[in-house]
Amino acid sequence: MFIEARGIEKTFPAPAFGGGAGLRALAGLDLKAGTGITGLAGPNGSGKTTALKVLAGVLLADSGEVLADGKPESPERLRALVSYCPANPRGFYFRISAAENLRFFGALAGLPPAEAAGAAAELAPPLGLSAADLGRRFDALSEGTMQKVSLLRALSRRAPVLLLDEPFRGLDEAACAGLLGLLSGLSGSTAVVIASHDAALLGKAAGRILRITDGTNGGEAAR
Amino acid sequence: MRTLRAAAAFLRKDFLTERSYRLSFALGAAGTLSGILVFYFIDKLFGSALAPHLAPYGTGYFTYVFTATAFFGYIGTGAGAYSERLRLEQAQGTLEAVLSTPITTGAFLLALTAWNFIFATFELLVYAACAVFLFKLDLAAANWPAAALVFALSAACFASLGILSSCFVMLFKRGNPLAWVLNNFEGLLGGVYFPVTLFPPWLAAVSNLLPVTYAVRAFQLTVHKGAGLAAAGGDILALALFDLALVPASVYLFHLSIERARRAGTLGQY
Repeated sequence: MFIEARGIEKTFPAPAFGGGAGLRALAGLDLKAGTGITGLAGPNGSGKTTALKVLAGVLLADSGEVLADGKPESPERLRALVSYCPANPRGFYFRISAAENLRFFGALAGLPPAEAAGAAAELAPPLGLSAADLGRRFDALSEGTMQKVSLLRALSRRAPVLLLDEPFRGLDEAACAGLLGLLSGLSGSTAVVIASHDAALLGKAAGRILRITDGTNGGEAAR
Repeated sequence: MRTLRAAAAFLRKDFLTERSYRLSFALGAAGTLSGILVFYFIDKLFGSALAPHLAPYGTGYFTYVFTATAFFGYIGTGAGAYSERLRLEQAQGTLEAVLSTPITTGAFLLALTAWNFIFATFELLVYAACAVFLFKLDLAAANWPAAALVFALSAACFASLGILSSCFVMLFKRGNPLAWVLNNFEGLLGGVYFPVTLFPPWLAAVSNLLPVTYAVRAFQLTVHKGAGLAAAGGDILALALFDLALVPASVYLFHLSIERARRAGTLGQY
């Protein structure tokens, strides 16, 4: 699988009646990521998250196109092809368990309950997640554990494209090593794009690192 | 298949969530009939004064308001639940996560309020059981197939109004003028608590613009007078025309509101 962004422009409009100018997040971004792991680096506000959201079909670009295997794809199709893990791990239902959350989001992604449970059982141990963690209500989890569940949600879909925004945030050393191991296992079959400020971990994970500056390509960065 | 899977997932998630609020869950089940007792005693005090206005329905005040309240309580679920559920998804930060999945607009709308309708059906059964066993209401004259048709048309109409209302929630987060109208005027002007013949002409004209007026009147006629298509046909036709316009328009406009929120990057905002 090969995912590509061509000429993506995105300006977030200013609030209506609120005054002020819009925020230009992407100014004609070009980005290519094939099977393997591609890193995205850049300063705060450079457009990394916006780029990932456009690639995932979550956010609609103002202009430009996203292609999968050379073919322009609609945002609806991208949401089917791409599994996206946001930087904020709190997009879950706090009153139900982690396992029930995974079952729910798995169902929305087309996974039968047994398949979602099987994926969780396989992928949870490397991330340091126990059955007790998964059985706990989501609001009883630590921030780091929430982040692990968020990663598990994205990994469980086994989508051809996997986009991870700040995946290492809040993870302990063992979980980071576990995640790196899982990503290494996926690198032969999945196009993985990781946005992270952690240069060391990004260097370990990614075969190449692209730099985004002010919403455009800043070239390839040294690993 | 995916739509059904999404609906089942939402139902399970919402049931587990509601059950986790144990006190609220128990109170919700127990509180269904508390309001109706107010009307029972109002009927004792003032019921006979409304007799001329109730003559077309062939029933007394308490039976009239009991039936209308049970009916309106169910169809009103659609009017309120969509915006309420959407607002909840926004506030708890799950809306963007849900809409990041391949779920379609239609599947999302079907699944979002599935629990509300299931619970409303449970409440309706409680009403029905109380009607038969507690208050011993005489519903022998009912034309149940016609009543079911009115029920279905009304539920679709109010669900559409609810979906339209949720467009405001999607775009503006707070400030929902349609919900304000629905919450404050439908019960008052639609014949739920008293027949609309009580209104002065200018207010009756406003009442005739609301789908609830046709829904309540048609339901009352079919249940209490056994009216069929001939007697209630005008109201049934009005409901059908409302549905023809509102159902596709509401789904399309909701889809547009999601797309607008995606473009503005506000799915994760509340």
